[in-house]
Amino acid sequence: MKRKLTPANYLALLAATSFFVFPLIAAFEFSLRVNLGKSHGFDNFRWVFQQEGFKTNLGVSFRLALLTAVAVLVLMVPTVVYLHLGGGRWKRMIEFICLVPLVVPVISFALGVGTAFPVFLQSTVYELSFLYVIVSLPYTYRALDVGLSSIPLLTLVEASRASGASMRQTLLFVIVPTIRSAVNGAVFLAIALSLGEFTLAVLLHWDTFPTWIANISQGHILNAIALSVLSLVGAWLVVVVMAIAPKSLRSNKTQEATS
Amino acid sequence: MTEQNRVSVQLQGLRKVYGDAVALENFSLDIAPGELVALLGPSGCGKTTALRILAGLDTDHSGQIIINGKDVAGTPANKRNMGMVFQAYSLFPTMSVLENVAYGLRVRKVDRAKRDARAQELLDLVGLGEMGKRLAHQLSGGQQQRVALARALAIQPNVLLLDEPLSALDAQVRTQLRDEIKRIQTEVGTTTLFVTHDQEEAMAIADRVGVMRHGVLEQCAPPQEVYLNPANVKVAKFVGAMNSLPAEVTSPTTLKIYGQSVNLRVGEGGAPTTKTGKALVRPEQLTLSHGDGSGPASATIINLTFLGPLTRISVRMTGDSSVLFISMPSALALDFPTGSTVNVEIRATSVLLDF
Repeated sequence: MKRKLTPANYLALLAATSFFVFPLIAAFEFSLRVNLGKSHGFDNFRWVFQQEGFKTNLGVSFRLALLTAVAVLVLMVPTVVYLHLGGGRWKRMIEFICLVPLVVPVISFALGVGTAFPVFLQSTVYELSFLYVIVSLPYTYRALDVGLSSIPLLTLVEASRASGASMRQTLLFVIVPTIRSAVNGAVFLAIALSLGEFTLAVLLHWDTFPTWIANISQGHILNAIALSVLSLVGAWLVVVVMAIAPKSLRSNKTQEATS
Repeated sequence: MTEQNRVSVQLQGLRKVYGDAVALENFSLDIAPGELVALLGPSGCGKTTALRILAGLDTDHSGQIIINGKDVAGTPANKRNMGMVFQAYSLFPTMSVLENVAYGLRVRKVDRAKRDARAQELLDLVGLGEMGKRLAHQLSGGQQQRVALARALAIQPNVLLLDEPLSALDAQVRTQLRDEIKRIQTEVGTTTLFVTHDQEEAMAIADRVGVMRHGVLEQCAPPQEVYLNPANVKVAKFVGAMNSLPAEVTSPTTLKIYGQSVNLRVGEGGAPTTKTGKALVRPEQLTLSHGDGSGPASATIINLTFLGPLTRISVRMTGDSSVLFISMPSALALDFPTGSTVNVEIRATSVLLDF
């Protein structure tokens, strides 16, 4: 049901939007300054692309983000579905575990890795993905939990099972499409977190895009801002593509099916 | 229409317990190939539990489930080949109507052209042939349940399971869809178990009605028999309206009710062990004649409720002040205005005694 917004709603929306948008506009404007602020241009952005390690580190961060997103999907979706279906007695405990990353300092995770992770995992940058899955738990769990609470999950699962579907088919064909926006939200949060995470990467001595930005921007403040704007826009593009792609794929499919 | 499977179902000695509560106790039911059996009972009587056990959605139970001679108790729900329609609307919201109907075939990896053709065939059968492209939320409740029925039948199920499919619908659609379900079931010939708490629905649709109470199947018989010859007092009281009249046992086969001699029918409970009891007589088994206020069957009319073709008349017996309900054609009821004095006559060939 669509609700009509009152002027007060618009005002609140405007205030909230300004809170986010003004700093971004300011940062963007700042990053365009050249010649000590006397004129505007894209020199700072060009400089970024010419720096050594830009592509490599961006690539690493994207791969980490992808792996994190896949891990979140594979691990979290079935788990939260299970909790909603029959794992009621585990729900409180898992909810609590999912909140733990909010209160445990990141440095503890970094130290924990040294003692708990197997050596082969510690020798690759992809160990960060596993940590990102943990750090993003409070957000991804909440997103999926809310999504699943809003649908008649048990009825849909039973209807699917009675139709002859296995649990895997039920997850893929029925549940995930039904809570697609929640799944997208969870994946988006995981990706955004992976692309922007700095502390764990530094503490575990890995080079990712954020640590590279920190390194090269020392002494180049305008370029650093340009980089931040770029990475922000990049992350948004990824999210937009993710949000739109499944829908357009689906509408093509439906057209095929009905034509 | 493609030939459907015609299988027999035997549920033997099913028992299901939720904590301390017994949901099913020694529940046994045979369903012949192509037969439609309705389980009828108040909520919490275990009828849905029996259906869910047959579907494989409830696995923690004892007893046997034999389908076409094979025990499927250990088979998971998705391997039992059951078609199921739920009380709640259960269409998959992101799929079109056609995709919903074709879903069971899709998970069985039937190729697209075949499954779409089959789904279209089923949609035509339920009268929604033109609605294939719509999404569930674009359909009315009745249409959604028709699609759910088509989806359940698309896989040519061994057994069709209907779990109060009409409960969420309004009265007019309910009657219409009820007749539709009966027509389709007769046409495709699938063995069907229908669960409902609505007596009229069960009577109208079923070849046999199973009356349940507290997890026990009290009687399973054709609707007429359940109504006219209830197996015991519990069934008699649950199915249809019933008057309890004070009766005296005059011989092992006869009762005296308000001075009239009526044949006693001995139910599952056995012969009466007391001299008196309550005779169970249906409202339409009582008639009225004008009286003068004397005699043991004398009564006064206290209320008339017009129900269209029939009128329900409430009378107060002069002797013991008990209130009885009498059902008669509205045209005849015009002769008996409120306040008039009447004699009550019992027209039952035999009655059960609650002792």
